[in-house]
Amino acid sequence: MSTSTEHVMHHDAPEVVGRRERLGVRLIIVADGAFIFAMIFSYFYLRNLNVNNGWLPADGHTFTVSSGWLLALPFIIAAISHNFGQKRRESMGVLSIVTFVVLAIGLVMQWSQLSNMPFMLAEEGGFEGAYASMAFFLGGANLLHYVLGTFVALGIAIRTKRGSSTGTHETWRLRTAGSWFTWLAISAVACAITTSFAAV
Amino acid sequence: MTTLDHAKVSESRPNPPKSLITKLNMGTGMIVGIVFAEVMYFWGKSMWDRQEAVMENRILTLSMFAWCIGFLIGIGAFIGPFRWLIGKDLTDEEQLFLAGKGQGVSRYFRYCTDHKVVGIQYLVGVMVMLGAGGTMAMMIRTNLITPGSKWVNAEIYNSLVGLHGITMIVALIIVSTGPFGNFILPIMIGARDMAFPRLNALSWWLLFTAIPVLCSAWFFGGIPTGWTAYAPLSVQAGGGMNAFIVTIIIFAISSAIAGANITTTVVTMRAKGMKWNRVPIFVIGATISVAMAIPAFPSFMASQMMAAFDRTIGTHFYDAEFGGSGWLYAHLFWIMGHPEVYVILIPGVAILMEIAPVFARSPLFSYTTAVVGLAGIVGLSFLVWAHHMYISGWLPSLNGPFMVTTEMISIPTGLLFLVLLGTIWRGRPWMKLPMLGVYALLWNFLIGGITGIYLSDVPADDYLHGSMFVTAHFHYTLMGAALTGAIAGLAYWFPKMTGRMLDERSGYISFWLVQIGFQVLFLGMFAAGSQGQPRRVADYEQAFATSDLISTIGAYLVGIGMIVLLYSVVHSWRKGKIAPMNPWGAKTLEWTVPYPIYLENFHEAPVVTSDPYGYGRSEK
Ligand code: HEM
Ligand SMILES: [Cu+2]
Repeated sequence: MSTSTEHVMHHDAPEVVGRRERLGVRLIIVADGAFIFAMIFSYFYLRNLNVNNGWLPADGHTFTVSSGWLLALPFIIAAISHNFGQKRRESMGVLSIVTFVVLAIGLVMQWSQLSNMPFMLAEEGGFEGAYASMAFFLGGANLLHYVLGTFVALGIAIRTKRGSSTGTHETWRLRTAGSWFTWLAISAVACAITTSFAAV
Repeated sequence: MTTLDHAKVSESRPNPPKSLITKLNMGTGMIVGIVFAEVMYFWGKSMWDRQEAVMENRILTLSMFAWCIGFLIGIGAFIGPFRWLIGKDLTDEEQLFLAGKGQGVSRYFRYCTDHKVVGIQYLVGVMVMLGAGGTMAMMIRTNLITPGSKWVNAEIYNSLVGLHGITMIVALIIVSTGPFGNFILPIMIGARDMAFPRLNALSWWLLFTAIPVLCSAWFFGGIPTGWTAYAPLSVQAGGGMNAFIVTIIIFAISSAIAGANITTTVVTMRAKGMKWNRVPIFVIGATISVAMAIPAFPSFMASQMMAAFDRTIGTHFYDAEFGGSGWLYAHLFWIMGHPEVYVILIPGVAILMEIAPVFARSPLFSYTTAVVGLAGIVGLSFLVWAHHMYISGWLPSLNGPFMVTTEMISIPTGLLFLVLLGTIWRGRPWMKLPMLGVYALLWNFLIGGITGIYLSDVPADDYLHGSMFVTAHFHYTLMGAALTGAIAGLAYWFPKMTGRMLDERSGYISFWLVQIGFQVLFLGMFAAGSQGQPRRVADYEQAFATSDLISTIGAYLVGIGMIVLLYSVVHSWRKGKIAPMNPWGAKTLEWTVPYPIYLENFHEAPVVTSDPYGYGRSEK
């Protein structure tokens, strides 16, 4: 029996911790997915109800379909580059920076879309109808995803550079981050598909 | 694996790490939070014109979020993620400091990652919320003591009803999974901690930041909408509504985190040998409850974010003039709302299913039935939400199908009844305080469940919707079942959480006062509701006077009973009889560890070889 009074921390095996973290992230993805689902449900609900013919702005203008897909593109590129780097660790140094830069660009793009929102009512102020409101909401959720994605990507880039990203546990973590980036891409695509159906 | 002597470990104070972590606590959190809120407020005022309601809402909402973020920064919640970001992970020493090692009482005021500390924090937090909600309930009933009492004005009355409702709903969502799910559950499955200790602290402190926000509603004009906050009424409401919205958003994030944490813990950290059919039924119930909240609550959060955007930047999700729809709100709310009532109910019933075998000294009858019942409830509860919308005019042709799914829920619910009855049937009940809860539940939930079936019947609901009958129904389920289960759980696990027994005499007095008062209160309310008295209205006709007077008398009895319970808890916690390690002779793992519980719960990882309900079976 040890006579030391120093407390020794109990450490589980890295694979065990890695698996645990993966499950935690997947459950958070379920919550996030339910949120995205609620938004998409709301979008189609309001679109199909078209209360008082108020879905589209008075002049019928909407965002172009391509703008929605353009805003999903950085997520797709980021997911591919991260997952590729995570499998070929020697390329992670470059690819983690690519992932970060792409997401940061997406963040700026999304921010500028939201801060130059068309479809505003001239007199009363506020948004011109339900479509404009939903587009703003979906864009806002995308923005939040960009913020979270950029944060994780920045961390991975820094850690890879500093060499903190080695060892079994980190391999698991990179893989788990991979499912997070994949989810971000899926949800962005789901939102882009949704906004592709604008006109009633 | 450590082989250290427990006493020696707790005597020694390791040199705490010299980093920022050691300097932060609740106080620094509050300072930074208040500074953030103030800065946001004055910046907002200089940016936007406060005369316009939209601008005022914007300033208030942002200030409330600023408080929350500031508090979390100030208490050190972001140190972990930040250190990860820059590639300097927390050292073992720092993690031990965060776990509260050698810090005595002060760890309860820190960002402490020890699940036992978080459990106690939740317990105290819940008691404060129940106290506040209960006080408001007493005020509501006092105003309704006679017709035309005008004790409070109608505006205040509305706020009382709304804030009582949401405070109690939030309190009941966490009343079992907060204190017991955090403190007891990991020990029950033989784990050393939760899967994500820092997220555990985060879920509590997030919730903590929401409490002052919700209270602030009083200072901004209260909330006129009831706990359901129907839009577009909530969009037009005054400044207090911002507090409601911010509270719900914070709470939804907190419960997603807690849900992921508890679920992961149970799935991945069970002791060796604890196969799924050996997991204690409370663990199953708590996990189902929090796991169900993960997909359910985001829809509530989305509904409140849309309300916030409508109020603060002029979107039109709910405003029919510009293409919005009130039905949208009702859907989003009740798609969350019905699963949520089971999020509340299931842990309460599961606690009682845990208690029944221990005190009846007979095995749980039958474990499989219990699990099937719980699973059936989960499956169905996502398919019934529109029973709250029969009268809203939304697709009347779907009322029939929703009536069928709703009535079907009584089948799995009935299974839970059979489990409890069967367990007691052949047992030899030991009538201690926790066991009384089982009997109270059987009675109360019978009434709650059957009146639910009345309400799910469309023609009956046509008459009863919006009446006091609905209020009485859900109090029989929420308070009569879920809260009763939680109080029984407190009496049962009190020795493990505090090292002392809950005082029996005051416990019994409180139990009978509360249960008798409760029947008087809500049977009176069923009478008023059947006569047609509308809910959420400050005044009423002479015809309802007798029923309401009876209800108010019952309410006062409940109030006195709850004060006795509070006394009992506080007194026993300070001076109660010292508890033995296993006062009830129970067979689950939490009763194998002595008090005070070792930081990592077990010296040696336990191994499980049978299910925990082997009473009366020959020992193998
Ligand atoms: C057999 C099971 C149950 C059935 C069939 C049932 C049915 C219903 C129905 C049809 C309503 C709508 C009444 C109306 O607004 O007109 C209702 C309301 C409600 N029920 Fe139940 N219920 C059951 C169990 C529960 C349980 C277990 C809880 C909570 C633990 C609960 C909590 C509520 C609440 C909070 C409301 C009212 C919400 C509001 O409008 O403020 N119910 N129930
Ligand atoms: Cu319901």
